[in-house]
Amino acid sequence: MMNGFTAVFRKELTQMLRDRTTVMFALAVPVFELILFGVIDMNAKNIPTVVFDQSRTQASRRLVEQFGATSFLKVVGYVPSRQELQHAIVAGDAQVAIEIPPDYARNLTAGRKADVLVLIDGSDSSIANQALAAANGVVLQNGVRDLMERTGRGSQSEAHPIMMFNPDMRSANLLIPGLVAILLTFSGTILSAFAIVKERERGTLEQLMVTPVSPLAVVLGKILPYLGLAYMTLLLVLLLMRFLFRVPFNGSVVLLLALSVVYVLALLSFGLLISSRAGSQMEAMQQAMGIMLPSVLLSGYIIPLNSLPLPLQMISQILPATHFIKIARGVIIRGASFGDLWQPVLALLAISTVLIAASARAFKKTVS
Amino acid sequence: MSAEVGVDVRHVSKEFGHVRALHDVTLQVPRGEIFGLLGPNGSGKSTLIRILCGLLKPTSGEATVDGLDVETQGEEVRSRIGYVSQAFSLYRDLTVDENLDFFSSIYRLKGRERAERKQWAIDLTHIAPYRDRLAGVLSGGWKQRLALAAALMHRPSVLFLDEPTAGIDPVARRELWDLLFGLAAEGVTMFVTTHYMDEAERCGSVAYLYLAQLIVGGHPQALKQLPEVTPPGMRRVEAECSEGVASLMASARTLPYVRASTIFGTSLHLLVDESVSNQKIDDDLESFGIGSVVVRDIEPTLEDVFVRLTEIRAAELEASS
Repeated sequence: MMNGFTAVFRKELTQMLRDRTTVMFALAVPVFELILFGVIDMNAKNIPTVVFDQSRTQASRRLVEQFGATSFLKVVGYVPSRQELQHAIVAGDAQVAIEIPPDYARNLTAGRKADVLVLIDGSDSSIANQALAAANGVVLQNGVRDLMERTGRGSQSEAHPIMMFNPDMRSANLLIPGLVAILLTFSGTILSAFAIVKERERGTLEQLMVTPVSPLAVVLGKILPYLGLAYMTLLLVLLLMRFLFRVPFNGSVVLLLALSVVYVLALLSFGLLISSRAGSQMEAMQQAMGIMLPSVLLSGYIIPLNSLPLPLQMISQILPATHFIKIARGVIIRGASFGDLWQPVLALLAISTVLIAASARAFKKTVS
Repeated sequence: MSAEVGVDVRHVSKEFGHVRALHDVTLQVPRGEIFGLLGPNGSGKSTLIRILCGLLKPTSGEATVDGLDVETQGEEVRSRIGYVSQAFSLYRDLTVDENLDFFSSIYRLKGRERAERKQWAIDLTHIAPYRDRLAGVLSGGWKQRLALAAALMHRPSVLFLDEPTAGIDPVARRELWDLLFGLAAEGVTMFVTTHYMDEAERCGSVAYLYLAQLIVGGHPQALKQLPEVTPPGMRRVEAECSEGVASLMASARTLPYVRASTIFGTSLHLLVDESVSNQKIDDDLESFGIGSVVVRDIEPTLEDVFVRLTEIRAAELEASS
């Protein structure tokens, strides 16, 4: 049943360690991406803003100051006309433009409606959203304060939001636990697919199949070194996350590492499934991309699951990454326990089982 | 099945969908014989080898290797055969030593026996100076020796070689064949596919596959005597000429009694009417004014045999369709 396992395992390990590209691909690329994603901040700050102030009064200057006082907007210049205001946005010099009408101060003192025009560059939706929120915030604050000054009464109700788990809204805390799942998708799927396809491409699989080696021994002997490598990647990324980016680890490390095994097995099985269909490494790469792209886009890693249309939400449910991201964020950031996470855990187990069974079947077909 | 038979193929057919790769092939190879399987590319040679190695299942018919059924006793068969494939298929990123260690371990050789067999294979193929080289950097000839060493450590009783000498230099080719003769003398049955006629001449018996069917088989010398190879009323002569063999061939084809002509180096091989004398041919060829010509009788070559039989078969297929 397992004849030749030790031989295949030792051979594969030797080949894997000798192949610098593979080891680099598995370890260096994830570290590089982790650093890239860890340093950037998805929350837009200092959005360049231009002002066309026709009022030129103390009131209008105060308004501009208030806009600039938020950390989101930064006034980079004043323009003398509306054309130039629009031009600044079209040319990309500014992403927010504020036009204050000549009668702004007059209307304000007269207690009339004082309109301010805010132009926002909508070509980058995340920046646009934040700029809109900042602009609305400033204007609302002004409105409330003016109202209070005039009526001499304090505000009736005020919301006191408390941000749990990620009080300073750091992108790293949100992104890195998800990134762990995405990075493993790359190394797990591609490496295991390559391991088998390479042997087929070079004819060595055929040579192997005319020996008394058992197919199961070939699969396990070939996959286990990559399971080890993928696990090393995971540990490395987790260490960097905790100690370089100081993302707090609120849950049980053991629980995450245990559930990672299930996730990595699902990925390796998928790689194996690809390898049973792909004739060349190129084909395997293309097919692996077929799961990687949805894993990045539909797993809730970048785009929140709730904002996906229903058919895409259904696809996201069958991606192992979706469930592992829930688990990783839960364990790392929210300190969730096994009991809290039973839903994604169960889903991940089900997907893994199906993938392992399918890949075993496919492989049996390839070698016989 | 007789224990004297190394490979026994009975009515084996193989279809891939609607494509017929082998049709009703029957052949026997006695134990310890070198058997050469010939045929154009795509005629089914590799398919037959792959069936015998248990890589493919025949659509119908049965085959035994060393007395064991390839379908029902596959695992047992695999431990008794060696397989050297067409393209080098050992691990390029492992050293010669590592490759041999791997295969000896796969074939369940243990401890002292493993060391002994590995050393034996290294000595046999003289690959010792390259033990620490990566297999991928070896030249074609040494790669084939390594493949052979890896396929022999477990003392296979049947060795399958799929175009083992394709693309290697003549000296390495000669040495490889010397090695094969040595193994055959020890009782190993060899099943070799090749395109080289000189290699076919060295085989104990040969068979020719054409369009998935076996069209002839037997000892090379016996095949040359087959009546259909030289059509009735015809005979074969060689015309050695001093110069211009190519233009001489074009001219020779205009002679009414020349049925076929082929160039061999500076000579023409002609298939001519039996009634025409060598002197007449000599005179006619020299009358073209190309050069001096010497004509003598020859036997058909193995190539003549296969070319002729293929033509007959193609004509039959044409007529029946």
